[in-house]
Amino acid sequence: MSQVGGQTETSRLEFGSSSSPSSSILLQPMNHPRKKAPESTDAAVPFASSLKLLLLHLICALGLPSAFWVAFNSYSLSLIQNSAQTLLVVWAIEASVVILVYSLLRRNPDQCSNVKAIVRGLLGLLAGALVNALGAIVLGAPVGIQHFTKTIHWSLLMSVFTFVPAASVFGSSWTDWHRIFAQTKPIGSTDFMICFPAHGAVIGAWFGAWPMPLDWERPWQEWPICVTYGAIFGYLLGLVVSFGFVVYNNQRKHAKGE
Amino acid sequence: MGMPAKWASGRNGDLGGWKWAIAVSLGIMLLHSLSILLFTRGFLLTRSELSQYSQCNDVADSPCFPPPPDQNANGSCWTKPAVDRLVIIVLDALRFDFVAPSAFFAEKKPWMDKLQAIHKFASQNQSTAGIFKAIADPPTTSLQRLKGLTTGGLPTFIDVGNSFGAPAIVEDNLIHQLVQNGKRVVMMGDDTWLQLFPHHFVRSYPFPSFNVKDLDTVDNGCIMNLFPTLYEEDWDVLIAHFLGVDHAGHIFGVDSTPMIQKLEQYNEIIEKVVSVLESQSGPGGLHENTMLLVMGDHGQTINGDHGGGAAEEVETAIFALSLKKPPLPPPAAADSSSCKLDMHGRRICINSIPQLDFAATVSALLGLPFPFGSIGRVNSQLFSLAGGTLNQEKSTTGDDSSPLEVENWMQYYVNVLCINSWQVKKYIDVYSSLSLIGFSEKDLLHVSKLYAEAQELWSSTSKNFSLDKSHKAFAPLPVVKQQLDAYSKFLGSVAALARSNWTEFNLKLMGLGFFIMLSSLYLHLFLIRRLDKQCGLQSCLSRYSREFFGVTFACILVLIRACSFLSNSFILEEGRVASFLLATIAIYQLRCAIAKKIMLLEALGLCLLVPMLRISIELGQLKQAVNSLFLKVDPSRTLGIDNDSQLWMYVAEVLPISALIMVACLLYKSTASCSSQGILKYVVAVTLCNYMLIPLHWASDSSLFSLPPFLEGIKGNIIPRVTYAAGLLQLSLLAISQLVVRERAQNLEECTVAKVLALLSAWSSTIIILSGKQGPLVALASSIGGWCLTRLMALEQDTRSESSRSSLSYVLPVTQWSLLAVCMFFSTGHWCAFDGLRYAAAFIGFDEFNLFRQAILLAIDTFGFSHILPIFGLPLLVAFCYPQRQNKQVFSMRLCQVYLIYGFITAVPVTFTMLCVTIHRRHLMVWGLFAPKFVFDIVGLLLGDLLIFLSALYYNA
Repeated sequence: MSQVGGQTETSRLEFGSSSSPSSSILLQPMNHPRKKAPESTDAAVPFASSLKLLLLHLICALGLPSAFWVAFNSYSLSLIQNSAQTLLVVWAIEASVVILVYSLLRRNPDQCSNVKAIVRGLLGLLAGALVNALGAIVLGAPVGIQHFTKTIHWSLLMSVFTFVPAASVFGSSWTDWHRIFAQTKPIGSTDFMICFPAHGAVIGAWFGAWPMPLDWERPWQEWPICVTYGAIFGYLLGLVVSFGFVVYNNQRKHAKGE
Repeated sequence: MGMPAKWASGRNGDLGGWKWAIAVSLGIMLLHSLSILLFTRGFLLTRSELSQYSQCNDVADSPCFPPPPDQNANGSCWTKPAVDRLVIIVLDALRFDFVAPSAFFAEKKPWMDKLQAIHKFASQNQSTAGIFKAIADPPTTSLQRLKGLTTGGLPTFIDVGNSFGAPAIVEDNLIHQLVQNGKRVVMMGDDTWLQLFPHHFVRSYPFPSFNVKDLDTVDNGCIMNLFPTLYEEDWDVLIAHFLGVDHAGHIFGVDSTPMIQKLEQYNEIIEKVVSVLESQSGPGGLHENTMLLVMGDHGQTINGDHGGGAAEEVETAIFALSLKKPPLPPPAAADSSSCKLDMHGRRICINSIPQLDFAATVSALLGLPFPFGSIGRVNSQLFSLAGGTLNQEKSTTGDDSSPLEVENWMQYYVNVLCINSWQVKKYIDVYSSLSLIGFSEKDLLHVSKLYAEAQELWSSTSKNFSLDKSHKAFAPLPVVKQQLDAYSKFLGSVAALARSNWTEFNLKLMGLGFFIMLSSLYLHLFLIRRLDKQCGLQSCLSRYSREFFGVTFACILVLIRACSFLSNSFILEEGRVASFLLATIAIYQLRCAIAKKIMLLEALGLCLLVPMLRISIELGQLKQAVNSLFLKVDPSRTLGIDNDSQLWMYVAEVLPISALIMVACLLYKSTASCSSQGILKYVVAVTLCNYMLIPLHWASDSSLFSLPPFLEGIKGNIIPRVTYAAGLLQLSLLAISQLVVRERAQNLEECTVAKVLALLSAWSSTIIILSGKQGPLVALASSIGGWCLTRLMALEQDTRSESSRSSLSYVLPVTQWSLLAVCMFFSTGHWCAFDGLRYAAAFIGFDEFNLFRQAILLAIDTFGFSHILPIFGLPLLVAFCYPQRQNKQVFSMRLCQVYLIYGFITAVPVTFTMLCVTIHRRHLMVWGLFAPKFVFDIVGLLLGDLLIFLSALYYNA
């Protein structure tokens, strides 16, 4: 009974959002096969079954601990002692994982080759690093020269969390970027997978900055260590939330299909 | 109060009208003042410092017997000197259980029984040595304790005196009396002594005390100088202040190896010092009549903290050893002493002495006048350790005490107490006649009664005494005992009165003040809601959901900022926290701007402005860290700029001037765009003239530019004075125009904008010249920031008509406005401490000191950019984006709401600061950090209330 109620409620919402005149003007038909009919979502994203999405989420999530493991075991680096080098290893590994995973989810897989998606992801990595670094400096990251490499590597990692997935999937489609990051209106599994982890990482990093002024004199209070922890925690939480939404979305669609 | 008036006018339906606004702002101001008054009475204990000094011949006025004229004529002043030389070894943060044998405690801890030398000497010389448990009074910080020890008073957080800023003691004190009476004092160790007594020592070996991590520099310096000095005869009083235990406690805690090593080191030092003294204590020796005092200034907790009033912090110890032999056994002992066997089977007795009594007792021992402000009593046990020497001529038998000698001593001691009581009574009388916040009438009466009783008794006892002199007989012991009790009662009640006035927080008053503050917050919310209802908002809920995110966001940020004051670290970093929050809102707005595709430039500009402010805040912190005990700033955090390079000097000269030109251009442009109100033109013209004078003022001080000869005459104070006069003229012009010209303007918004601009420009030139070279830069930043914020109001705007909008849409912009104001406070190089005031600003334009005038200038400098300009500029938020041709009443209601929201947002952090100082009232940093923050906050709040009230007067249409 309640399930039916919830179902109609959400479908009404989705109908409302997709049929409102402003969004239909904004959204280009090419990038939005979903607009025509909700059932065609699965066709547009071939990997969208729950199991596969779980796998993708897991790969993204496990990329981080394995990157730390590699950094610790192969190079004997730890985030607290060698933050810049560790961040370098971590973002490099996580970036390759994320770019590969999200290039599978790319929009219009027929017109856009895998290689192109990977190149887009790499470009997005650089652009995102710039934006993240600027954001960090606006929020109070130290600007001294000795902090420069740390800031660069941290913002590259943040870029992996935030910009790279969107760049791999959407390329330069401004409307999609606008929808995900400015309006926060994700539609469908891929959008969830881009939107929630990215927002989680940013909000986590914001909260991660709070212990920094405390006078506990712990080494992890240094820039950017606790901010990185916060970002990673937020990212993982975002992945969990996104997976939850994806599963819920699929079930709903499944029920609707029947 | 103003509340009934408000309710009445509220019912009249004139809600949001100008009378209503004035009543509300006045009511809230009164409510805040009441709350702060009550809270401050309970929390900020104040005491006036008197500048009177005790003189040697004062004692002739007393009803007591002056000391018999001394044949040797050295130093007999109020009492007969009992010791000639005094060695004081101060061990900072010496806990009582470091000194007392572990037998006195329930459990033996690793740090106990380390000072075995003290136990040994105390048990060997029962009659000349003693261990005392000294009870200090809070605040238990070294500076306040040294002050208390030497003045014999109870220093509070605010000792109102003429030494504002400098820590040097201006009250009468032991060291002053020593110097005054020809004693030579040598000091070594902690350099705090030199701050307190800059010119008193014949020789001093100060060592820096600020590096807490350094356990040995001060101690080694002391040891190096102590032993050679002990062999010299060119001093009478030697003070050696060791810091190792204090620092070890701060860094490692009490239960740690470094602490035990320090104690063992001190044990050796004490052993060695006593052996040196004893080796020369024979007849005619250097230390024949020397007394050694080993004492702590305060205790510490197990974690090494001190400052509060916990038992561990206030309990410290004094070990006294008189070298003179053979003395009298302690006559008045056994009342408060307790004796136990230590682990080696030695009998050790411990007496208790309030630290308050130290100054009086030492003065009595050395025969000095008691410090004028001392309210301690001469402690009988400590006094008797050396007191035996007084009757040396008479004491023929060494060990056993004949009743005659005891009586003789008692009689002598009663006379000392008589002088003591007379001096304390004199101080209490003078204090209550001179001080603004004196004692209560009832307490004074009680104390006077006790003194009168004691004096009455004395008049009969002293008759016996005078008989004694001639007849060689003594007053009967019970009479003397009774007299002693009478004096003790009087002195005890004075000490209790002083403690209740100067050291105890009144939690009831504090709680009451806090609850009034909370109710004022509730009143704010209630009034904002009411105004919304008045605007005809029925469907409040649906509107709320639409503006839900912005409002919740703003509330969370305000709460986060307020809660951050509960931690000392965040108070130190308040400026950076504010800039962090401001940046957060700026980024959020940038996101909104991208979403709505409007105002992109303004949002970006704000985002770029915030890092500039932050760099300026960090530069200010660098200044603060120089003399802050708590703040450690990594100097590399800011850009390393070589201050000496020629290029930098030119930039530093040219940058402010170009910024000033830009501010002037902005002002001119905005005036020109504003379609011409008559008075505005004149005001702005005067301001622009002032702006031209300001660079001339700088150039006259600068070394880079040489003035043309015809301008040589303007050096010095003329330009600032002209600026102040012009500012006053402009303000009075505006006030007069407000009174005379009744506005008939159709266009309310433009009229308000013109008024705001006129008022801001009238204030700006004064504030800029007071802020110095950074002034124009900050002014430029705040005008750009303000402009961005007013433009960004459009983000909150939607298509609905103004009258149906709720006040909720203003919450986020006003929060941002107040955060910008906070950032301005810190980026002008201020911080919430008294050394954060820019005293130099008070003397721009004036050379001589005038309290009232200089205080006003200092206040304008301190709060100019953070309170005066933002509050007077607040109507811009409403006026710029207000749709044209709207209802006049709705507009003034909006204005009221915005001011109410602003007041609310500034009052919330103050409430949390009050909560914080209540929680942390016994914290280590309460006087160093929390209390100054509290003072700045309440001054800022009251000033803000006043400014809001003035704005309500000024902006009523």
